[in-house]
Amino acid sequence: MNDAGLYAVKSLPKKEYLAPGHRSCPGCGEVLAVRLVHKALGRNTITASATGCMEIVSSPFPLTSWEIPWIHVAFENAAAVAGGIEAALKVLQRKGKIAPKEINVVAMAGDGGTADIGLQALSGALERGHDFLYVCYDNEAYMNTGVQRSSATPFGAHTTTSPAGTAVPGQITWKKNMPEIVAAHKIPYVATATPSYPLDLINKIEKGAAAEGPAYVHILSVCPTGWGIGSAETIKIGRLAVQTGFFPLYEVEDGAYKITVDCAELLPLERYLQPQGRFRHLSEELIAQLRRRVFEQWAELKRRAALSASAAR
Amino acid sequence: MVHLVIDGKGFQAEEGQNVLEVALENGIEIPHLCYHEQLSPYGGCRLCLVEITRGARTFLSTSCTYPCLEGLVVRTDTPDVLRARRLVLELLMPLAPEAPRLQALARQMGVTETRFASDEEVDDCIRCGLCIRACAELVGAEAITFSGRGERRKVEPPFGEEALNCIGCGACVFLCPTGCLHMEDQDGVRTLDKWKRTLSLKACASCGRRYLPFAQIEFARQKGEDPPAEGWFEFCPDCR
Repeated sequence: MNDAGLYAVKSLPKKEYLAPGHRSCPGCGEVLAVRLVHKALGRNTITASATGCMEIVSSPFPLTSWEIPWIHVAFENAAAVAGGIEAALKVLQRKGKIAPKEINVVAMAGDGGTADIGLQALSGALERGHDFLYVCYDNEAYMNTGVQRSSATPFGAHTTTSPAGTAVPGQITWKKNMPEIVAAHKIPYVATATPSYPLDLINKIEKGAAAEGPAYVHILSVCPTGWGIGSAETIKIGRLAVQTGFFPLYEVEDGAYKITVDCAELLPLERYLQPQGRFRHLSEELIAQLRRRVFEQWAELKRRAALSASAAR
Repeated sequence: MVHLVIDGKGFQAEEGQNVLEVALENGIEIPHLCYHEQLSPYGGCRLCLVEITRGARTFLSTSCTYPCLEGLVVRTDTPDVLRARRLVLELLMPLAPEAPRLQALARQMGVTETRFASDEEVDDCIRCGLCIRACAELVGAEAITFSGRGERRKVEPPFGEEALNCIGCGACVFLCPTGCLHMEDQDGVRTLDKWKRTLSLKACASCGRRYLPFAQIEFARQKGEDPPAEGWFEFCPDCR
């Protein structure tokens, strides 16, 4: 179910939970993802948001875009707070103080709040087995403070703290593989998504919310400002990221891998790198390094998906 | 405008709204599987049962099919309602034992096991008819329908043969609450196994990827909706 076509999208709910008028940049892929995620979750949702772009753009005092209960917490503890909310709801329901109904508890954070600063809180919450959904909106750097590198910045990308020049060719470390780190906790549901494939994203959020126990969805959120692309290119770049194998879309359900948007043949990696300002300086040699890494990652994923498919049979 | 009371709180509703709609808008959760805001209510899954008091009479009814009337008193959480809902869920569970949404509902309502079993082979369909309504109302293709009655009722293409009106849009697959429908693209052919439908896909003029069924393009043209630019369907979404 990745590109259903013309009609399936019409069945999405009309109600918006993130009001328009927020202050995100034009063409922001992250805010689009937030909107779709909350469309999928519906009204009975409590969201704990770490510091980051989405907190800045959606809640400039005294305004807010949120039409659901939403709490802004410190950079490092979105998962801990969501875990606390979930535990509190459980107790209140057990004591009969609130009606026993399903309330989605969601933690949201950017790649910095997930892979760098919030990693231990996330790991702790996953280990304790809270029934919540963690959504990481990964725009591959600290965008709201002015494009500083994070551990989720891909190799070779230019940021203000990994500037490309004669000394270093941009980011010199490899992107931290967050979905794999989370999957290693053996939680019921882990997935990667991008708003360029909206139905796929909504499916995964619904699955994650229905899972018993913690669920994690890693969303690639294209950032025109930080990546150096036109604001009209967001969706296209997101699709190219998937089709070149740079950011494969897959899910891990109870340990079983499944590639949800399969590509018979990966597109040339240059088609993804070339339009982006942050990769413009890359030499042929560095691109070859990146390509090798992408192929390895894709082959490994294919292997695991095939293993899981044969185990299920 | 009519006034009604749900769980002790007064609400205003537009004429013609149903009880479920008003409850959901105001944050009162009523479990449901077959209700969709853009489709006509059908009352197929029976999970949205509530207790309605109208005048001197009190009875259980599905809230998605009950219109908001002046002075209606609705309760969504009486022991009777909860017991009835648990029974409905127990009846649904043998039909789709693996469906995640049913399992989530069961956990939430405290249903741990079901007293019922299905005699026939399980096909994961709970006969809620959401796919039929989506196909008829949202898309307008009317490719599938109910056949049979009572326990023999099932969702089928006409006469159980290939659904010739199916355009392979996947709206039914996307909406199915149990995930019993599947759509697959392989070697330029889209298959919907349950509707016995295979559709040939049109190739993109630029990248050659086969992306959209010919039947769907033809259908959109005939309906004249979303008038596409000249040559719109020649290219896939990535190449446009």
